[in-house]
Amino acid sequence: MTGLFSDDRIVYGLIMAEDSPLLAKDVQEKIEEIKETDILVGIPSYNSARTVVHVVKAVEAGLSKYFPDKKSLLVNSDGGSTDGTMDVVRETDVDFDSILVDHKAGAFHKLVTPYHGIPGKGSAFRTIFEIAKSLKAEACAVVDSDLRSITPEWVELLIKPILEEGYDYVSPYYLRHKYDGTITNTIVYPLTRALYGRRIRQPIGGDFGFSGRLASFYLTKDVWETDVARFGIDIWMTTMALANAFKVCQAFLGAKIHDPKDPGADLSAMLYQVVSSVFNLMDEYFPVWKEISGSELVSTYGFVYSVGLEPIQVNLDGMLEKFRIGVKELTPLYGSFLPGGLLDNLRGYAENPKDKFIFPDEMWVNIIYYFALAYHRKSMSQEHIIKSLTPLYLGKVASFVIETWESKAEEVENRLEDLCLSYERRKSYLVEMWEEGVKDQGKPRRRL
Amino acid sequence: MKNLIDRIITEPLRDFFQRILEFLPNLFSSIIILILGLFLAWIIRLIIVKMAKLLRLDRLFSKIGLTGALEKIGLRETPSKLFGRIFYWLTVILFFIISLYTLKVPAIEGFLEKFLLYLPNIFIAALLVVLGYLIGNFLGRTALITAVNAGIEGSALISKGVKTLIVLLSFVMALEQLGIGQDTVIAAFIILFGGLILALSLAFGLGGKDIARDYLEKKFKKEAEKKDELKHI
Repeated sequence: MTGLFSDDRIVYGLIMAEDSPLLAKDVQEKIEEIKETDILVGIPSYNSARTVVHVVKAVEAGLSKYFPDKKSLLVNSDGGSTDGTMDVVRETDVDFDSILVDHKAGAFHKLVTPYHGIPGKGSAFRTIFEIAKSLKAEACAVVDSDLRSITPEWVELLIKPILEEGYDYVSPYYLRHKYDGTITNTIVYPLTRALYGRRIRQPIGGDFGFSGRLASFYLTKDVWETDVARFGIDIWMTTMALANAFKVCQAFLGAKIHDPKDPGADLSAMLYQVVSSVFNLMDEYFPVWKEISGSELVSTYGFVYSVGLEPIQVNLDGMLEKFRIGVKELTPLYGSFLPGGLLDNLRGYAENPKDKFIFPDEMWVNIIYYFALAYHRKSMSQEHIIKSLTPLYLGKVASFVIETWESKAEEVENRLEDLCLSYERRKSYLVEMWEEGVKDQGKPRRRL
Repeated sequence: MKNLIDRIITEPLRDFFQRILEFLPNLFSSIIILILGLFLAWIIRLIIVKMAKLLRLDRLFSKIGLTGALEKIGLRETPSKLFGRIFYWLTVILFFIISLYTLKVPAIEGFLEKFLLYLPNIFIAALLVVLGYLIGNFLGRTALITAVNAGIEGSALISKGVKTLIVLLSFVMALEQLGIGQDTVIAAFIILFGGLILALSLAFGLGGKDIARDYLEKKFKKEAEKKDELKHI
């Protein structure tokens, strides 16, 4: 038996702007026909024909294996692929006999539609949220279309906490190398944790589970013409769930292997996309995060494990050189928003030789908080502010690599825990400074 | 004899007084307009300063670097006060011109006509210089950050070069707008720009060939050897 579902259950979506700004007419018709679904899994895609087959098969198998009695829908929200991604999704069938020992045919539908709006993952998600809302989906998940390591268990781990435990948001927790995700480890995770008080280890993971209630809530926000639609959707979803008191947990999914991102991608552009998304949300949710101190664990589903670390090549000299050049050349620019004492410290540490090089956590946290304040106060072009953080970030990463070169995964996590605690300890000063800025921009400012 | 005296003395005197009598109302109106202008200019200055404070323009100009630029050229006043002063004098000049027109003296009218026709050029030229300064600042900073992030030593020099070039270009455009030595200024700019590029080419090609070789070797060869496997995201 090849595949459980007949072709008439597949909907091909086309955007007809005159009928609906978001959903195509035939998609709307199909929604009216399906009426409702229990589970919805969305796959945003753009030119992923090579990899999407595996993702679709894993999702179908996961739904069949773990939720055979539920009505489910797979939505492919595509950004106008030219490599036939949508055709591949339509034509992919799962040979369940070869995958599952025992299986039941549930009510499964597949919906393939191009999304409408600004090109970007956020717009693709918006279409998925809209369909989820229309079909009154109880639990939803979104998974990237370039995943090579997704298994049917991912569907279970992202959906079950919502269906059975009443959670609204399931954040992914992947097994990663100690030097993978250094922006997450040194900025996004500790900052999000200190701000919102919940220890979501990978807030910009990319694959999430969420309730239909939360999908409807996302749709009420007017962000679909902003950078959230382009690149900031991951941290936006996590922060919205945290800041609006939705019930949040995380699911350990194992390793995340996917198509490598563009190796030529500019680090400062990457940093700008991620950090500006976090800083923008800080502006919006100041009344929420100013009241929070410390942090608490969140429930983690799945079997957490670690493996031995493969040694990887790190260009430490290159990072240190860029850090030193940055400190030397950008001092006048930093002077407009970093206090003199902090600049002196930076210059002092930049002079240390490689074997004695260290970038203390307290100094790093102060820098991030002052950058956040400068961004909030728009001390200069916000893009300039964040892009000028690049050499300092490289200095912090170099220091982290030097300190943890011989460390095992658990020791690295402990080291990151120290950094997180530094963020939490300094937060009260950030709140004070932020409030001073709100009350009176003109008064001389205290120093962190 | 009486007729002769009338023709030589009385009639010219009568004409003269007649003209003075005809001119006096114009002079009177002119003085009133000028006084009114001074009063209005004073009120406008007050309103501008107040509005600028309400809109926090001083903070905005400080952010975009205008306050610093003004300080550099010796203007210690806050931008809001400076704007107040500019609008004060613009109003005074405007009313002064109207008052001169009111005099209805043909020579003055001719001069004012030429001046008024030239006035837009002055405004456009001033605007070009201000815009050039702001764009130069922004692009200079962009060049600085981009060069630093690419690991280039002496990025500040590149930044200053970009900024100077744009300010210079806006200055040349302003002079062209004012019609001052059009051909000479453009020719001077082309020679200066071309000379700068040639000098840099020679410096890099001859004087700095070893440095260039070292830099390129370091940049491409070593980085190719030391591939980074660290993932930032």
